[in-house]
Amino acid sequence: MTNAVEVRNVSKLFKLHHERNQSLKSAIMRGRISRYEEFTAVNDVTFDVKAGSTFGLIGSNGSGKSTLLKCLARIYSPNKGSITYNGRMAALLEVGSGFHHELSGKENIYLNGSILGMSKKEIDSKYDEIVDFSGVEQFIDQPIKNYSSGMYVRLGFSVAISVEPDILVADEVLAVGDEAFQRKCLDKFKDFKMSGRTVILVSHSMESIKDMCDQAAWLEKGNLQVVGESKDVVSQYLKSLG
Amino acid sequence: MSYIKDVFGSRELMLNLAVREIKGKYKKTILGQLWSLANPLALMLVYTFVFAFVFRVTPGPGNPSGIDSFALWLLCGLLPWLFFARALSAGVQSLVANESLIQKVYFARVVLPISDVVAIGYNWLFEMLVLLVALVIAGAKVWITLPYLLLIMLLMFVFAVGLSLILSIVNVYFRDTEHLISIALQLWMYLTPVIYPLSLVATQSEKMGPLFGSNITLMDVYSLNPMEQFINVFRTVLYDVTAPSATSLLTCFLWSFVSLALGVLIYSKKDKNLAEAL
Repeated sequence: MTNAVEVRNVSKLFKLHHERNQSLKSAIMRGRISRYEEFTAVNDVTFDVKAGSTFGLIGSNGSGKSTLLKCLARIYSPNKGSITYNGRMAALLEVGSGFHHELSGKENIYLNGSILGMSKKEIDSKYDEIVDFSGVEQFIDQPIKNYSSGMYVRLGFSVAISVEPDILVADEVLAVGDEAFQRKCLDKFKDFKMSGRTVILVSHSMESIKDMCDQAAWLEKGNLQVVGESKDVVSQYLKSLG
Repeated sequence: MSYIKDVFGSRELMLNLAVREIKGKYKKTILGQLWSLANPLALMLVYTFVFAFVFRVTPGPGNPSGIDSFALWLLCGLLPWLFFARALSAGVQSLVANESLIQKVYFARVVLPISDVVAIGYNWLFEMLVLLVALVIAGAKVWITLPYLLLIMLLMFVFAVGLSLILSIVNVYFRDTEHLISIALQLWMYLTPVIYPLSLVATQSEKMGPLFGSNITLMDVYSLNPMEQFINVFRTVLYDVTAPSATSLLTCFLWSFVSLALGVLIYSKKDKNLAEAL
């Protein structure tokens, strides 16, 4: 089996600013722009994600998994190492990115879709599906500031999931909407898997990791502890917690 | 090179973001798009009153067009200037204002300032159309110089985009930039022949002669301002209705090219680090 994503020696450092002179005055007065210590959020992480598999990232708070996820989503660029993708990648870290409150649901589908990298043609062909999945047909021409928070996230999720990338990088956004909508989302993820796509996700719910993922990686303080079968990794992680 | 390809691939997103700006701006207003004319018209009334009526500034009739109206003469320079000023003030904040988007989704960040300038350019286009109609009614045969007008508008747009790119990045690291730029733009306007004719500066320059024993005149220093060149070409094309000199056009082209090249260069270097710098 080929690899969908290859993560090689990825490190990500952050600057912990003791002072950061973001104004011209302070920069000149202090004679420098900033003084900082480096903090390693992700340290020399290497793993492969097989094409068509679902891969989970686990770890306690501050373990660096969100930073790694952002590197995978190309929002951060790693200081060292490289990440190679075989196929089109899309990230789902937040629903409804770039929604404009004054615009209608329909206009926002097109806007959000193009932010996520879809062409107008693609959105046209998926438009009905998106509206259908979100369940907000009735209000699609209303400005979304009038939407309930549930409708808002459902619409956002529907657009995001319709991107149909080869590789989907997702944060814990699975828990949106009511019970019925969550079930629809889970089904959608299963469809995703069935059609041979790769999913990488971060979750705190060990149940959903065991349930959905084939493989998992456990991070602790930026270091990779274990990579392997999700059940094994989860049980080792839980054991370490005591 | 791959960076430029990436940017080109995002043109649809850029247009969508520009449409978001344009549609969102005048939503729920009764006058809608007409509001974009309100500001230039108000300024025109004030400046015409102060400069043409109180100070008696006379730019003289357009040569060879023969139109003689301070208000029209003013608008030929004021509309491009207002576009430039608005583009810069919007462009400078474009990254900081879209912070949450940048931290959640990957896309070529360069589309943010460009789409802001495009949205402002759209309003400008609308204003210029109204001005063209007014000029035609006043008897100027502006269709003769229309190709020049389109060219200089394009160059002006590119110049504004380039500067916006540079400023938006600087503003991420120094948040003073957006406040500084609003003051700088006010000063800059008075250093540019927008509300007074260039001939007044030329007269002063001649009176003063060479500065400090060198052979540099006031006019030479004054002409270093790129906006002086742009505004002059706009006036030549719209008010005088004649072809601008090749030197002026070339100068404008160079300024646009340099500012865009610098902007793209900075972006291709900083683009990746923006999410954490914000």
